[in-house]
Amino acid sequence: MDAVKRVRTDSVEGRPTEDAVLVERSKNGDQDAYAELVTRYQAIAARTAYVITGTAADAEDVAQDAFVKAYYALDRFRTGAPFRPWLLRIVANEAINRRKAAGRRPTVGLSIALDRASGDTALSPEASALAHERREVVLMALRRMREEDRLVIAYRYFFDLSELEMADALGVARGTVKSRLSRAIARLRAAMEGDELHDA
Amino acid sequence: MTRERMTEQELDATLAEVGERLAYPRPTRLADAVRARLREPRAGRWWDALRSPRYAFAPILATLALLALVVVLAVPDARAAAIEFLHLRGIDIFRAPAIATPAATAVPRATSAGTLTTLNEARRGADFAVLAPADARLGSPDEVYRGKSPNGTHDVVTLVYTIRAGIPVSREAGVSALVVEFRGRVDEGLFGKVAGAGTRIEDVTVNGGRGFWIEGEPHLFFYRDESGNIWNETLRLAGNTLLWEQDGVTFRLEAQVSRDDALRIAASFR
Repeated sequence: MDAVKRVRTDSVEGRPTEDAVLVERSKNGDQDAYAELVTRYQAIAARTAYVITGTAADAEDVAQDAFVKAYYALDRFRTGAPFRPWLLRIVANEAINRRKAAGRRPTVGLSIALDRASGDTALSPEASALAHERREVVLMALRRMREEDRLVIAYRYFFDLSELEMADALGVARGTVKSRLSRAIARLRAAMEGDELHDA
Repeated sequence: MTRERMTEQELDATLAEVGERLAYPRPTRLADAVRARLREPRAGRWWDALRSPRYAFAPILATLALLALVVVLAVPDARAAAIEFLHLRGIDIFRAPAIATPAATAVPRATSAGTLTTLNEARRGADFAVLAPADARLGSPDEVYRGKSPNGTHDVVTLVYTIRAGIPVSREAGVSALVVEFRGRVDEGLFGKVAGAGTRIEDVTVNGGRGFWIEGEPHLFFYRDESGNIWNETLRLAGNTLLWEQDGVTFRLEAQVSRDDALRIAASFR
């Protein structure tokens, strides 16, 4: 009748415990196991949130909220399914909801941390300047895009998710991922051309 | 120079470069923050306990149906409210006072309690030592059921005392007294989350072991079995209840009696 006691069944020494094992332990209320999952995926969770919210502070809050929500939703998590895309889906929803709640400004403050035109040492000064300018153009376009489009681009180009993971994270059929991505790229190009016309 | 449309390769490469350079947040201690949040009680949302992974249970639909029933009976705009809940929202619906309202619709007794048998048969067949009260006011049970836990691994024995002088028929159980026995575990925190403000929970000692006396307004309650499952049979409204554990077996005595009477009855279990 005492508080529940649980026996830790750690994996073979020195080997990282698999997500599935950590998830199962978390489902049984093992918060150490869940903390390990948080540590494992905090970076990509915060990055995903940032791509949507465009501010680092909001993104950290979103990631934290998402991890808490995910914990309480674990009983709906299908045993054996990959954890990362499932988590990202919760993160993305949370981030989009936060944007909506904040009154959704048309653009986000997504920015590049440190980018000097001369940073690409392997390139000639001209090529380096060109690459820098291209990044600026792409970034400006990204800021104005719909969250969903930014997200699909980020999953593919920023975080290098597989098609299968993207399907899970976006909650769409695998066959839909390619068309989503190509539509997002088409809209990105349209936005870039809009930018350039504007600048001209 | 960017007027020129980038080629597909140029755009791919540029996107990858942008992705590497974004001013991402760099959380380092998120696990601590999350852990602290998980330790906080989820104030005012006792039904979240039902959804917490700690209390994960299989027949969630049955549970939702039962809670929806509570809503239907307790809330004027019942239909909308039930839908809200089924979508796992609906924050103000399940105020504790609402729990008491559907008490008149007594849950049919012995629901999923198993098949009718006799006390002797139950004692022979069950996978634990079946006890029964020797208290004179209760006498022999009118009905004895033997069934299985939902996961099929544990025997459950239910003793029904339909009408007994001096013990009012409980609106919740529909009988004077109900005894349920099985191998299980009582989770203190769980009861605390499910009971409304008008329900008291008291630590008691029963036959030398720990137990709980639950008294006052009807409460929603359930057990987990040894596999951690919550039994949807026991997730229902209940009246005054004494719970205790004895030799690895959990006993539940539900009867509209005083705490001391319940303890006396419990002491007579043989």
